[in-house]
Amino acid sequence: MIAAAPWGLLSVELVVCAWILVMLAADLLLPQSRKASLWLLALLGIAAATACLLQQSASPQETFQSVLRLDPFSRYFKGLFLLTTAIVIVMTKEFRRHLHVHVGAFYMLLFTALLGTLILASVNDFLLLFLGLELLTFSLYIMAAYLRTDTRSVEAGMKYLILGSVSSGFLVYGIALLYGFAGSTNFSVIQHALGSGTIPVTAQAGMFLIFAGLGFKVAAVPFHLWVPDVYEGAPTPVVAFLSVGSKMAGIVAMLRILYGVFASLSSMWAAILALLSAATMLYGNLAAIPQTNIKRLLGYSSIGHAGYLLMGLSTVSAAGVTAVGYYLLAYLFSNLAVFFVVIAASDAIGGETLDDYKGLSKRSGVLAGALFIGLLSLAGVPPLAGFIGKLLVLLATVESGQLWLAAIGAVNVAISLYYYLMIVKRMYLDAPSTTAPIALTGTTKIVLAFLVFGILMLGIVQQPFLQHIASALQF
Amino acid sequence: MPLPLSLLILLAPAIGALLIGITPANQPALIRRLAVTCSSISLVGALIAIATYNTATGGYQHQLFIPWVQTPKIGFHLGMDGISVVLVLLHALCGFTGVLISYGIKERVKEYFFFYLLLITGVFGVFLALDLFFFYFFYEMAVIPMYPLIGIWGSDVQEQGVVRFSKEYAAMKLTIYLTLGAVVALIGLLWLYVSSGANTFDLVELQQHLSNVPLSSSLQWKIFPLLAIGFGVIAPMWPLHSWSPIGHAAAPSPVSMLHAGVLMKLGSYAIIRLALGLLPEGARLWLPWLAGLSVMNMIYGGFVAMAQKDLKLIIGYSSSSHMGYVLFGIACLTPLGLNGAVLLMFAHGLMTALAFALVGHVYDETHTRYLPDLGGLAHQLPFIAGCGVVAAMASSGLPGFANFVAELLVFLGGWDRYPIPVICGVFGVVITAIYMLRVVRGMFFGEAKPAFAHVHDVVTPFQKIPYIVLIVALLGVGSWPQPMLRIIDVSSRPLIDRIAPNTPEPQQLATTASIVPIDAQQSHRPASAHP
Repeated sequence: MIAAAPWGLLSVELVVCAWILVMLAADLLLPQSRKASLWLLALLGIAAATACLLQQSASPQETFQSVLRLDPFSRYFKGLFLLTTAIVIVMTKEFRRHLHVHVGAFYMLLFTALLGTLILASVNDFLLLFLGLELLTFSLYIMAAYLRTDTRSVEAGMKYLILGSVSSGFLVYGIALLYGFAGSTNFSVIQHALGSGTIPVTAQAGMFLIFAGLGFKVAAVPFHLWVPDVYEGAPTPVVAFLSVGSKMAGIVAMLRILYGVFASLSSMWAAILALLSAATMLYGNLAAIPQTNIKRLLGYSSIGHAGYLLMGLSTVSAAGVTAVGYYLLAYLFSNLAVFFVVIAASDAIGGETLDDYKGLSKRSGVLAGALFIGLLSLAGVPPLAGFIGKLLVLLATVESGQLWLAAIGAVNVAISLYYYLMIVKRMYLDAPSTTAPIALTGTTKIVLAFLVFGILMLGIVQQPFLQHIASALQF
Repeated sequence: MPLPLSLLILLAPAIGALLIGITPANQPALIRRLAVTCSSISLVGALIAIATYNTATGGYQHQLFIPWVQTPKIGFHLGMDGISVVLVLLHALCGFTGVLISYGIKERVKEYFFFYLLLITGVFGVFLALDLFFFYFFYEMAVIPMYPLIGIWGSDVQEQGVVRFSKEYAAMKLTIYLTLGAVVALIGLLWLYVSSGANTFDLVELQQHLSNVPLSSSLQWKIFPLLAIGFGVIAPMWPLHSWSPIGHAAAPSPVSMLHAGVLMKLGSYAIIRLALGLLPEGARLWLPWLAGLSVMNMIYGGFVAMAQKDLKLIIGYSSSSHMGYVLFGIACLTPLGLNGAVLLMFAHGLMTALAFALVGHVYDETHTRYLPDLGGLAHQLPFIAGCGVVAAMASSGLPGFANFVAELLVFLGGWDRYPIPVICGVFGVVITAIYMLRVVRGMFFGEAKPAFAHVHDVVTPFQKIPYIVLIVALLGVGSWPQPMLRIIDVSSRPLIDRIAPNTPEPQQLATTASIVPIDAQQSHRPASAHP
């Protein structure tokens, strides 16, 4: 009955599973003095998983009674999740000092979160969707509260846990309603059931409840309330993973569900998505303006970016999906560059308020330059990655006829530029309190160079990326 | 394959910025030399481009096309027609002289020249791009470096020791205004692209497609104001101009030179190239409104300039007043008016660059730009005073300068359709003369003030180069405008013919036979009439 074949399809997930145990064992067995190099072991795990991913065949197939689906779509996003995790691992290396003794356990949790996102990338069944989401979120609950002596971190973990549990409740309720309607949790079966005959109100309610559960993940209005406090309190590498990995996982699940299961109901969800997208963009960007803490500000900015992603989803077109794929890639590079600088600078500048960044350019040209490029890319300025992402999303939105939404999105570019530039102003225009240069580790320089290079490449040479994304993200 | 001229012009400053980026910051002399080399390569390229522009064939020349993205279809398409070749030359002149004037910058030289060359690249890109995507790409790229350039190296606008506008405020206001304008225009461009159904961002193909399958007039009526207002912000069109004088005043002089000299021209250029070129019917419907607004520019800007006491604010408001003439020339919808508008862009750019250069020198030496504090500087600064008088004369439109020819053409081109605005415009010239003469008197003439005894003039030939280059260009084109007008005319006439094919040629033209390229008229009139 059990053929040998499915295990090959699961190789990436299996490697990550194994590495969860490896990290746990390493944390327990290695002497304290050797734990400084644990990050290399973690990176090795990512490398092994990446190697497995590259080996898998590109043709779409389903496995394990079609609860998992392996296709170019899942491969693309698995690649992005692995890349995100690799960079977060290097971030954690820089951040290690704050994590005290349990660095190994932290890496272990990072791998469980990664496993959750990998499952979400190829999910084809609502039960597994729930499993993947919970695996991801539970790891993040613990990681958010990882600085046990810092009350803000504990508060962040607690808030995330409570609001997250509520949203999981929505999700489960929605899944239950859909199961009642279709008699199955499998995506294809439900899609088929929705495509034929009338759709009862309970099934529609199920769809919206599931959407609410996922809206929490991507931090869309009105499910965004947890964002500012969690972003401010949680350890910075966790915030980086939350803002990129977790948001991406939410979008991936939404893409699978909206464009797969609920494709026939697009007339119903597209308009609602468009409205939510407008509200999300406006709220995130306007609320970011008065912030004084950089992590809080980036939290609101990430809400704004969720708005753009929803805008791309609301177009119900292949161009919109491609735009979302490009936007996520650009967002990954830009946002991780920004968070990397926040981590690398935080010890030297003594804090995370915006005023701590005064005169950063005089203390470290590399950090200030990378933050400058990352922020401008987030704002959407050419020739940087974010510009192309925003342009593609706006273009797809105009093509879908939602001119008003594109106009709101365009105005938000100017709003967001204002608060990003306020950080640039502090770095370049204001005088520093001390001019002591900030020493950077070699890994920091390498990773920042890689991220900035990626931002520039995505902004200038679009064709190869665009072609790959367009062919991978098909429904 | 030889390197296409347009690519050379664009790449020289871009490569310069990259090279400066990798040069160690403790070698300012090398960095300056790199910047001068790159900007002079562009200048030589621009001179060759205009010299070899073939007026007999017209159209886009020195083209380069590299396919960039397949879906949506985007190509790296560069090229120059008669209008852009003139503006490329203007920008090359302003950029070259601006780099020379930038020798006065002593702080954070590396970062300064990096951003400065980035700005130069962006503006060249806008003038050269023949693809909507790259047009917008370079347009935004030109706006953003202004923020650090003003914010770091600029100066607060003070009056009697009280800060009226801080440089941070000016820089932020400029960036946000221009970005808001840009995104409004972007929505217009995307809407235009989608509704054209041509499936290409290529400007030439799009124009071809739209002349075969024009957009419905209701769509044109809706899209045109998005483009006109969006790009009008940078033009700067009244009442969206308020970022501009403050930005001029707060920016360091070489940046003001580019800002007033070229950056503002991006707006009117974009209106000519995109709004007029792609939406002829929209232009017909909306341009009377633009004419009305442009009168406000001329008169309002002039009066506000009269009331100012900060030298850079005076020139700043004067610029927005003069750009009113450019907008009016565009709104006339006659070949004469458009020729005048483009020539005025060229002339005003050189004049205002000259003015900002010398005001910058005065400010560096005396540490004040407040007019009542200055006076008698002709005693210490004979060369600068001479340049100042020349700039004032050019600005007031005295014969002999390109400004005179350009303004005359604009008035002649607009007389038939809009006589009252023309009268207002002539009145505006008088206002210009009043405040310009007042500035010259207040700065240079009168008793020598003992406080300025230590002030140094521009002495070395090297320092004099930028001033001399600008004055020679102004006088050269002013006394012999024919060749340049012929080049502009080759491209502006077909454009106007597409929008207003039935405009009768005004009778007065005969009187301006010496200025207007008659042979160009005659050779193009039949060709572009209805086939």
